[in-house]
Amino acid sequence: MRQWLRSAMTGCILAGLVLPCTASADALAEIRKTGRMLWGGDQEGGGPYVFPAENDPSQVTGFEVDFAKRIAEYLKVKAVFTQGQWDKMPDMLRTGKIHAIINGYELTRERAEIMDASIPYYVYALQLMGSTGNSRIDSWASLRKGGGAARVKIGVLNGSAAEAYARTYCGERCEVIAYDGNTDTMREVETGKLDATIEDTPIASFYAPRFGGLRRIEKPVQRGYYVIYVGKGETALLEALNEAIILMVRNGDLERIYRKYGIWDEQQAELTDIAEKGRFYGYARATEARIEKNRMPAEESVTADTRKRGWRIVKDYSGILIQSAGMTVVLSCLSFPLAILVGLTIAIGRLYGRQWLRLALTAYVEFLRGTPVMLQLYFIFFFLPEIGVKVPAFWTAILGLAINYSAYESEIYRAGLQAVPKGQMEAALSLGMSRVLALRRIIVPQAVRIVIPPVVNDFIALFKDTSVCSVVTIVELTKRFSVLSMSTQATVELMGMTAVLYLTMSYPMSIASRRIEKRLGLEAQA
Amino acid sequence: MITVTNLIKRYDQNEILRGISLAVRKGEVHSIIGPSGGGKSTFLRCINGLEPFQGGEIRVGNQVLTPATGPRRDARLLEAVRRQVGFVFQQFNLFPHLTVLENVTEAPMQVLKLKRGEAADRAGRLLARVGLETKREAYPRDLSGGQQQRVAIARALVMEPDAILFDEPTSALDPVMAGEILSLIEDLARDGQTMIVVTHSMGFARNVASQVHVFADGYDVESGPPSKVFGDPQHPTTRSFLAQTAKD
Repeated sequence: MRQWLRSAMTGCILAGLVLPCTASADALAEIRKTGRMLWGGDQEGGGPYVFPAENDPSQVTGFEVDFAKRIAEYLKVKAVFTQGQWDKMPDMLRTGKIHAIINGYELTRERAEIMDASIPYYVYALQLMGSTGNSRIDSWASLRKGGGAARVKIGVLNGSAAEAYARTYCGERCEVIAYDGNTDTMREVETGKLDATIEDTPIASFYAPRFGGLRRIEKPVQRGYYVIYVGKGETALLEALNEAIILMVRNGDLERIYRKYGIWDEQQAELTDIAEKGRFYGYARATEARIEKNRMPAEESVTADTRKRGWRIVKDYSGILIQSAGMTVVLSCLSFPLAILVGLTIAIGRLYGRQWLRLALTAYVEFLRGTPVMLQLYFIFFFLPEIGVKVPAFWTAILGLAINYSAYESEIYRAGLQAVPKGQMEAALSLGMSRVLALRRIIVPQAVRIVIPPVVNDFIALFKDTSVCSVVTIVELTKRFSVLSMSTQATVELMGMTAVLYLTMSYPMSIASRRIEKRLGLEAQA
Repeated sequence: MITVTNLIKRYDQNEILRGISLAVRKGEVHSIIGPSGGGKSTFLRCINGLEPFQGGEIRVGNQVLTPATGPRRDARLLEAVRRQVGFVFQQFNLFPHLTVLENVTEAPMQVLKLKRGEAADRAGRLLARVGLETKREAYPRDLSGGQQQRVAIARALVMEPDAILFDEPTSALDPVMAGEILSLIEDLARDGQTMIVVTHSMGFARNVASQVHVFADGYDVESGPPSKVFGDPQHPTTRSFLAQTAKD
């Protein structure tokens, strides 16, 4: 009975996936032409999906990295990992920044409505985990027992299937707390701040060795499927991907990859079932020969055994952190001069321009000051492509920061310009200077001296604000910290290193600004 | 040189100037005296285009300013007027971020497009004339008020204007410094520099001016050669004003 149900279900999955595809797009053609399949994932998600490699943190590893690489080999192209924020993957797909999402994305009706899903490449379930030292939680049913102040605290990944399940299963009787990191909840259970966590089975299996203080409770429940999502109507690409998955199931590639990461379990038998049904739906025609030919050798297994600590972390990860700090420096040093230039122009326009210009510029400033920089970055990166303007991530970050900060700079400069006595403009005009010349030679140089302190202050603020650029796939210092801390759990060490890096970059700026202020400021006093 | 006809200036409902007419010929020194709030400074500022006005007209050489003259639309016209007419402010208004020399060379280089060397030569001569050749590299903040005003005069002179307007040039100075500035202006007068000087110094008006105007309540109540205005004042306002200043 159960077997039959499962088969019927997988049949439905396949049928549902194959039939409605009518619109034709050209992602596959593009992949073939460029020889690169851009696949999206977020390395902050941690192991075993996509995470920084132990020996070289600038490279990613994980079962999805191996999986994508293998898929690409079947398509005879190269797999290129594209970093992005996990919840922004559909936007990246829609705007053509990636060809496919391969990042633990569950098959859900909502997602299938806006994207096309492949057949499953992994069968996951939800594993309840508690602390070895806490006997209060010993079954799913025990979650429902508590009430009032004694309510059980359960940690889940924000926006995950686990969260949805926890809320429907026991949302009334226990406290469901959403976390942004996969392994944060596991640590919290270990330290006793949480009573239990619900994790996808790959995470529970992969990190079991690292969290010795955790135990799995009962069998996993709520089976679900990780699928590859491609753009709506990308039929050709979808068929190629499905065929590759079926091949990988049948020749054991998938099993080998999953065993390498310790996440192969009996639930994966369903993949075989799906593969067989897939053949029925016309996939993987005449593949017996290819199966033999393409068989992949087994590799050394990757496990998350002991947790690195202390100086080991400093030694292994300071290189990559410094490298990411470089990105922070580049972002701020390119965007801030732009912000100053635009800001000064706006300030001049608002003070000396015509009425309509003043109104327009005031609106510009109020709009940009009144909306979060993240939203603005998001707009440039994900919305502009829809009207045909494609700005690469790096320039999106520069542009977004510059535009946002230009609003603040313009206010500072407006104050600075107004602080220059009216007599200065009159004196300049009375010498026969034009207003533009007077501004350029007399007014602005004085205003610039007046505003040095607040401008430097803003530069330091911008410096740290560069971290929001992770929403547009930029990995700078803060994002790198999150990524590494999620995969190593060495949060304290990494936090210290990151703070030290920020300080060593911003403190010299404070000193430099004080010097400039001293030198120029003296001259400014009439 | 400068001809003002029936000039009317209002701030909202307040009439500051109520129909002033005045003509300054080349080489003349006109002095404007009168009680505070009589419209003296406003009158000077109108001539230089720093203030718009509501009636009448101002001719400077071949340029004509009218109530329709706009600071934006007629920028070229205003610049031409200001190139012919220099202005010296009560508060000096030196450029604090520039040295004394740069204060004087800025306009010749930027407006007249003189080479740096040429501008520096001109400025050097004028700084020597006002007795500040040793302060070339100083910043305004290092100078006394009298020295600053002398730099301001050099800054106006360097543009070789046809006329210079002085707006109470000594009011912000102590008597000693004021005396220095007034004798400098007297020097200029001897050299034939056309000037309009708004001043509270009756001595200056009496001894240096070729014409004296008494401004009160927006009217030029009495004008003429100093001997006439000071020796035989006709208008009651003039009389009471002169009586008032005599007491000081």
